[in-house]
Amino acid sequence: MSLVKPFDKLPTLNAATILLVGTDESQQQQLAEAILKEKKTFKINIHVATSLPLPAERDHIRPRIDLIAFMINMQSKHSLRNVEASLSHMDANFFLGKVCFLITGVGRMNHCSVEMNAVRKLGNLYSSPVLFCELDSEGIRAATAQRLLRMLQICAGHMPGVSALFFSSLMKSSIDE
Amino acid sequence: TLPSWETEGMHQRGMAKNPKQAFQVHRSSLSAWQIEERTAGLKTADLKSAQKHERGKQQSASVQAGNSTQDHLEQALTYFERIKDYIPLKKNEVLQKHLTTVESIALQRGLSPEGLDVLLNVALSGHLVNTRILKCLIPASVIAESSVVSAVSRLCVGKCSSSTQLLFLRWLIAMFDFIDHKEKLHALYGFFFCSLQDEKLCPYVCHLLYLLTRRESVSIGFSLLFLFFQGMQPHLQALLSLYKLFCPELVSITLPAKMKTYFKNSESLWKAAINTIRRRNQGTSPTSQQLILGTGHPQSRKRKWNTQLILPACSTDTKNPTRSKEINHADILSHSESFPVEQLHTFSQLLQNIHRLEFPSQMGSVLRNSLLLHYINCVKDESIYLRLYYWMGQTLQEECTWYKLDNQQYEEEFKDFLDIVYKTECFLQKGFSSCEEFLYKSLPLWDGFCCRSQILRLVSWIPLSSFSAFRHSSTMYIIHCFLSLLQCSVLESLKELLQNWLNWHVIQLDMESDPKISPLNTTLSGLVNSVAELIHFVGWIATVALRLENNATFLLYFILDFYETVCDVYLKYNLPLLVMPPPGVFYSALLSMDAVSLNQLCYIMYRYRTNLVAAKENELIKKTILQFKFSSQTYQEYNQYIMAMVGCLWTSSAFQKDIHPQGIRLDPEVLKKTKVQEVRNSFNIVHHPALMGYAILFLQQAWPEDKTLNFNLIKGRRWNWYLEYLYVQGLQGLKLFIESSINRVSQVSQTKSGNAQV
Repeated sequence: MSLVKPFDKLPTLNAATILLVGTDESQQQQLAEAILKEKKTFKINIHVATSLPLPAERDHIRPRIDLIAFMINMQSKHSLRNVEASLSHMDANFFLGKVCFLITGVGRMNHCSVEMNAVRKLGNLYSSPVLFCELDSEGIRAATAQRLLRMLQICAGHMPGVSALFFSSLMKSSIDE
Repeated sequence: TLPSWETEGMHQRGMAKNPKQAFQVHRSSLSAWQIEERTAGLKTADLKSAQKHERGKQQSASVQAGNSTQDHLEQALTYFERIKDYIPLKKNEVLQKHLTTVESIALQRGLSPEGLDVLLNVALSGHLVNTRILKCLIPASVIAESSVVSAVSRLCVGKCSSSTQLLFLRWLIAMFDFIDHKEKLHALYGFFFCSLQDEKLCPYVCHLLYLLTRRESVSIGFSLLFLFFQGMQPHLQALLSLYKLFCPELVSITLPAKMKTYFKNSESLWKAAINTIRRRNQGTSPTSQQLILGTGHPQSRKRKWNTQLILPACSTDTKNPTRSKEINHADILSHSESFPVEQLHTFSQLLQNIHRLEFPSQMGSVLRNSLLLHYINCVKDESIYLRLYYWMGQTLQEECTWYKLDNQQYEEEFKDFLDIVYKTECFLQKGFSSCEEFLYKSLPLWDGFCCRSQILRLVSWIPLSSFSAFRHSSTMYIIHCFLSLLQCSVLESLKELLQNWLNWHVIQLDMESDPKISPLNTTLSGLVNSVAELIHFVGWIATVALRLENNATFLLYFILDFYETVCDVYLKYNLPLLVMPPPGVFYSALLSMDAVSLNQLCYIMYRYRTNLVAAKENELIKKTILQFKFSSQTYQEYNQYIMAMVGCLWTSSAFQKDIHPQGIRLDPEVLKKTKVQEVRNSFNIVHHPALMGYAILFLQQAWPEDKTLNFNLIKGRRWNWYLEYLYVQGLQGLKLFIESSINRVSQVSQTKSGNAQV
């Protein structure tokens, strides 16, 4: 059992690491493939986990994690509970802009078992962006991959003058104003 | 003579109540025309008959294949026609068989008007306690009004169960556009109205009445009766709001200004089947499609988006206070009947009949009809927008591809629809409020991908009053534009939004001078505040975007394009507002490596100057205290920028003379430490990185033998030649700027004082 921390390791040169957490493994797989297909200027490591905490024994070989994307399916309460449980195993520093929630299944409103409010609350509580995407369609998958890559670029510090904290406060200020 | 198979087949099928009868009627008239042509020119006719024979062979195969199912259907229909008494469904194999036949054919091809008539009668007779028939009543072309009327009369007999009644009403709402005429149906308005008392039926009856209601339907009795229904359910509110629009003097209840309620969706049961048949019909031939749609818009796809235009044969209302004088006048001239909208084809027809036009009962159909859009522009009747409001809100929500995943396959259609809505908004120069609500509601859930350009374009028609509301709900939108490289399109649509507002303002100003028209509902200060809010918002977005994109030239172009509108707001749109670009934008343009951006910036600063000078002059002339004055801060900001520009382009003193707090001023000691030689020369019209390329070309042309590229040669007279050279290269913005803002006589000292005067 170990707390995932954003700053406990040194970054790898010209590389960035994203961690996808969610219960639907096939969806994670698809998204990971879409991310790898995108054009990028740096090396990208994608780690996939169904829940946190991550196993401690592999900790020494795991690179520094720059961005964690939690995947929640609106049709499954379990996926939400799983994410909520995982959130407690993270270092608070992650919430300075290095976390986002990916929500799938909004398109089937009638079959939603998770309330929209619950998801919004989660985003507010952890001051992290909530992104909606239907990963079933290839186009949207690619668009989501682009957005994640861009966030990852910022979180890994590859964008001069823009930090994760800056970006998240930017989003917040646009809400508060 | 014609190939025999065709005539024979036609007779047979014609006699046996073929579902495609309408289609055949058309075909037979076509063949009649061909006979005439045949006598006229033998040669061509021979050729044609040969071709026809070929086609005939191909078609007859498919005809034969279809014949067996056709026979089954006919058997089934005759069977249903003969039902005169209650028949249980259980253990009745014959009935089961016929029912299955009808279902499968109806869902695949749709049913003829005659078939529908038979089946409707059975379904509502109470002989069959089953709703299966109603669920498969899909028309292939149209539904005869008479069948609907007789069905309604069967409803009155009260033999069928309440669930059947409910289902019938839903069916009627869903199929409303397919009914060929609606006059007799209008006559039944009172009957439907009485059914409002039934609690279960009420929502659907309301919806039906909403579709049926015309101005003359709203009589005193109805409105009074209506007041008994005190519960303000959404469906009643919707109907009441329509009444209120038609006859405001009859409905005294105040209704909430914004209603987000819609009718329950009645279509869902039949929607899939209708879509299949529509697609099928499109696939076959253009003629059959025209018959199905009935209006002759071959390019359209969605049934609702260009439904049959129904012609109510009643006079234009004279009570309506919003109508202008001429129309009232015209009413007297033509009290008789209205001009059928489906016959409206040319603009001159519109002009001749403009006094006796009535809108079609399905308002959605006007979107594709440019002549009716002209008419909307002309009559300025608010009820039009209300009628569009529910329909459009519901359609947008129903068809939205990211609300409902099942819609994804129809993304192209949804895009088309959004395009049409946008075009209509452009045409009417007015945003639809249902569209705006749709944006608020759906943008937070948007995936940032579907219908991207359409959504962004719709943003440009958000009304002024609700921009701050939009900003609050647009967080996701902003996240999207930052994360998915959409900044340029976002800036473009925000520029259009600004221009739309400004245009609206100019039009309002024009109308204000006309005393007859009531004063503005938006005050000038409200407008100024909203516009300023938008401009500051864009400034903020632009600063961040430039930072994220590392000052990309392409992005900068769009940002400066936005400011080209902003800098001219005072002179061009007569709005007392001038907002300078934020330093994040100004300095990235000034220090850009690209001559295009620099030139654009020069032009913008020149326009700012012109506007400020004009404002100052106006202040001096009028002497009276103006309600709006540019604050001294604006002048100060402008002066700071202009000092930086002059230092950067002319006096080679960018690091000394810049006094803007976020500028590029550097202490001489720090400059010394950089150990850059000739720091002073880093920025001027020769050494500016954006212009250095021109300087090199100039040197090469002026001194072709000199290979050392000595920039110091450009001095004095040659400096002027160089300037001329730059102007010839197309840097007109630079020219305007230098000629206006730089006093050439004694450069340094007077420039400063010249600027301070502004």
